[in-house]
Amino acid sequence: MRLSPHCQLLLQEFRDKRQELLQLDNHVFELISQTLKQQGIELNSIEHRIKTVDSLAGKLERKGEKYRQLSDITDLVGLRIVTFYTDDVDKVAAIISQLFDIDWANSVDKRKLHDLNSFGYNSLHYICNLHGGSFPFEIQIRTALQHTWSAIEHDIGYKGAVKLPPQYRRQFSRLAGMLELADDEFSRLRTTMTEYRRQIQALVKSGNLSDVALSTDSFCSYLELRPFDRLNQRIAAVNQAELFPASLMPFLPILESFGMESLGQVQAMVDELSDAAYQLALSQLAITDLDILSEMVGLQNLCVVYSLKNGGTRNDIKYIYDTLYGASESNLHLADAIIRQYSAIGQ
Amino acid sequence: MKTTFKEEDKYFVMYFEGRLDTAASAQTEEEMKPLYDCSGHDIILDCTNLEYISSSGLRLFLGLLKTAKPKGSHVYIRGINEDLRQVFAMTGFINLFEFK
Repeated sequence: MRLSPHCQLLLQEFRDKRQELLQLDNHVFELISQTLKQQGIELNSIEHRIKTVDSLAGKLERKGEKYRQLSDITDLVGLRIVTFYTDDVDKVAAIISQLFDIDWANSVDKRKLHDLNSFGYNSLHYICNLHGGSFPFEIQIRTALQHTWSAIEHDIGYKGAVKLPPQYRRQFSRLAGMLELADDEFSRLRTTMTEYRRQIQALVKSGNLSDVALSTDSFCSYLELRPFDRLNQRIAAVNQAELFPASLMPFLPILESFGMESLGQVQAMVDELSDAAYQLALSQLAITDLDILSEMVGLQNLCVVYSLKNGGTRNDIKYIYDTLYGASESNLHLADAIIRQYSAIGQ
Repeated sequence: MKTTFKEEDKYFVMYFEGRLDTAASAQTEEEMKPLYDCSGHDIILDCTNLEYISSSGLRLFLGLLKTAKPKGSHVYIRGINEDLRQVFAMTGFINLFEFK
């Protein structure tokens, strides 16, 4: 590789300033990571690097004379932020422009460069500076699908529209269009799901439970109302037991297997069968000294009672245990034992 | 109540023998201390010869689980008899542990 004396000087300066650039790289990475986390933006990834000596030498060999000084090279430090959603690219960009001074003249939104005849699928590139910093750095922001496009484009070895044989242009265009469409649809789906969750939460809070279809989201909102607390506390009082927090989401498939389609039906089970569930728990716990219980205890007994009241067999009870504890033949013994207890309380 | 601690392959194994009741729990807690240093190991609590477990015993198992999980270690319960399994079931703790 032959470099002019000017380029050799730039390369030597880069070697001398390597430590400073590494510090800049780490500082910017930490600042962006923390800020985006605080803002609640979920990312696919953030990559960061400083240019290698070989890579810089290659660049200087190709176009070194256009750089008067080292700080004219804007990608010595580079970060790539990969978001899940296209909406988040703009949100991240807005945050980046608050954190750093942006060199707008050299920043490019490649997403806006495509005219009717162009194709490709690119990202947002910002050239930034720390306030009063001596070296610029480049930040690329793109979605995971844009990132995939770039990686494949790189793998294929395609570098620009001009070099691509015309017969392949249409194929590239179709793929780029499909990815853009998919990105937009994922964003739309997220917005729709957020709106759906809000509606469910509002319905649950207003108490219109029979209007709310039973689903992962609605059951999760319902659990925030702590509908099993009263039963749990009643059961805990048997042995003055401490209640240990536990997730109740594993009960959802059991409730669905009962044919329940709305939260109203779940609430009806709580209203109608809490006494029987309490009696069943009492019959098990009163003869023990167990003074620590999981918050699953109330709903677990409710499900057993509901199943048996509706003609459930030992296999139906085993299904409840298999779902909660993992499939095991031992669950048949548990089912037999609980059925005996249920008969003993005269239900 | 007797416990024995062994390292078996990648597992930390503790064998329990007898009744893990309130009276035995303080000493058992002391004997379980090596299990708490479990980074890089999964834990097996071998209950083949465990005859009884009280709330104090459950608390020891739960305490161990709470420490081991953030370290990426699994806590398995092995060889538990049907009566003790029923204790785990009726308290609602059974799905917190993995059974071998």
